[in-house]
Amino acid sequence: MEKVDRRSKYLLGGFLVIAYTLPFAIGIYTKNVFFEMQWFKDLITVILNGFMQGGVYAMFAVGLTMIFGVMRIINVAHGEMVMLGAYLSWASFFFLGFDPLAAMVFTLPIAFGLGWLIQKFLLNAVVGGPELTPLLMTFGLGLSMIYGVELLFTTDFRTIPYAPDSFQIAESIVVGRSRMISFGMALVISIGVFVFLKVHRIGKAIRATAQNADVAMVCGINIYNIYMITSGIAAALAVAGGALVSIQFGFNPETGIIYTLQAFAIIVLGGRGHFIGAMIGGVMLAVMESLISFMLPNGTALVEIAAYGLMIFVLLIRPQGLMGAKEL
Amino acid sequence: MSKKDNLRNLGFLAGGVVLLLFVPPTFSIYVRSFFMFMMMYVILSLSWNIISGYTGYINFGHVIFYGVGSYATAILVVDYGWHWIPTLFAAAVAGFIFAIVLGYPVLRLKGPYFAIAMLGASEGIRVIAINWHSLTHGADGINFPNIENSWETYHAMLVVMVLTIIVAYWVGHSRFGIRLNAIREDEVAAESLGVNTTFYKLAAFGLSAIFPAMAGGIQGYKVLYIEPESEFFILITIYMKLFAMFGGKGTVIGPILGAALLYSVQEYTWIRFPTAHLITFGIFIILVARFMPRGLMGYAIDKGWARKGMVH
Repeated sequence: MEKVDRRSKYLLGGFLVIAYTLPFAIGIYTKNVFFEMQWFKDLITVILNGFMQGGVYAMFAVGLTMIFGVMRIINVAHGEMVMLGAYLSWASFFFLGFDPLAAMVFTLPIAFGLGWLIQKFLLNAVVGGPELTPLLMTFGLGLSMIYGVELLFTTDFRTIPYAPDSFQIAESIVVGRSRMISFGMALVISIGVFVFLKVHRIGKAIRATAQNADVAMVCGINIYNIYMITSGIAAALAVAGGALVSIQFGFNPETGIIYTLQAFAIIVLGGRGHFIGAMIGGVMLAVMESLISFMLPNGTALVEIAAYGLMIFVLLIRPQGLMGAKEL
Repeated sequence: MSKKDNLRNLGFLAGGVVLLLFVPPTFSIYVRSFFMFMMMYVILSLSWNIISGYTGYINFGHVIFYGVGSYATAILVVDYGWHWIPTLFAAAVAGFIFAIVLGYPVLRLKGPYFAIAMLGASEGIRVIAINWHSLTHGADGINFPNIENSWETYHAMLVVMVLTIIVAYWVGHSRFGIRLNAIREDEVAAESLGVNTTFYKLAAFGLSAIFPAMAGGIQGYKVLYIEPESEFFILITIYMKLFAMFGGKGTVIGPILGAALLYSVQEYTWIRFPTAHLITFGIFIILVARFMPRGLMGYAIDKGWARKGMVH
């Protein structure tokens, strides 16, 4: 067992090395790589931007990994929750005139309540049953959310014009200001949740439930309450991620599925149910996406491939991911 | 299943075929198209049922084979000038090869991981189809020459549907199907009893890919224009899954019934409420997954109206 584990670790390492060098190889083959100073500065800019992007990815992946770690449910509606968050901050920006980040003060409680209700009325009944029932149910939920939002806001792409200027780090190394702000926000929120899980009583109860729900129940923890709180926190993280996405990219109701698959790729890469793993995985995926979009001809259309490829190959090579499947 | 039962069921099938041959064409061309697409969804949900109903590997990316088939037909008709009927066989072969190549690694994943991996694969293939301009004409799509008449495609779809029903019936009542069911109930136990699970899963996957590929080819020829977003549309997977689950996955009659009923309902709601019908569909999936995971046929068997077969 030990041997198999180590071998799969080496295989995964080899796969990741290949995956990261492949864009370079294709770039050299298609003459998109130039060995000069300016190009290297561009490369550093791109990697830095990808790194900051990763903070946002990590944030919504953390929500998914929490749900998985505590309840062993794969929530396919998570990306739709991110999309909903983007629309919430768009609506509060254009209809109420709130700053998208200040609006989190009331969008996050709304999201928490929504996650709580979904858990209470839909998913609590199927936790611990066959794994595919919650998958199908959250899929149906996601479908209703997509087309509900589409009914309200139509399929047009929306953007929020927020801090469009950029931030000069060094000569010709530039980072978008909105990206820096969202990276900082993501860092603060993720660390906040991490500390909450480690220190607070409820956080400890969540971790106990993740480790062993039966024993937690015997110790006097109301696990169904814990499930509802976890689901609420995950939904709030997804909506916060959506708010951060909304100030950087355009979005429409059908972009949700991409976020679901990205988040899933991240938690598979980092280790399912592993908090730190999700953050590392988020940064790794984002850096890879930015490398692809930088090196490949027509690369920006191909970035989605990174998430799908990583997900499938990591599932095949080492299903427990980089850090090993562990409880929160 | 005795010989008499097989003959009786063959009689039902023949009756259905005669009805479909002579009744819908007497109405308008709209009715003919409606029945054609209904037959298409019967094909899709029955073939989804072969892999997901019998072996329990819930496939969230079955639309891949439909899209591959329609692209095989389109490329051969438009770029190579074939007649469209032989391209359907090419589409079937393409779908089969695609399923074997994709299924060999992916079928090693279990339960929800298989589902998510297939979802990712279908989205990934869509992105590749958009960007591989020299093969698929990219996001521009492919226009067919406008020589289709709705008779040909109607009959072709009918033939493929009959073929699908016969194969699904055979799978459901043969040793092959029993082995697939053993995989669904307990894969490790099946393996320890000497069932070569990898081979049977792969065979079921390949078999289930042939018919959507052919249906996709006919559909592309019928609507005269295909493009990646509509051929690898995730909603088509959702439809086949929902139709099969509503009717009762793991049975033969279930997906047929589910597709016929729900496709009619969805056509009606689509006419009346163009956007809201998908919200209703989402809620419907939740309700079916929660309260009726075995579908109409499972309910009928519980009530004693239908004989107990290999229903999940």
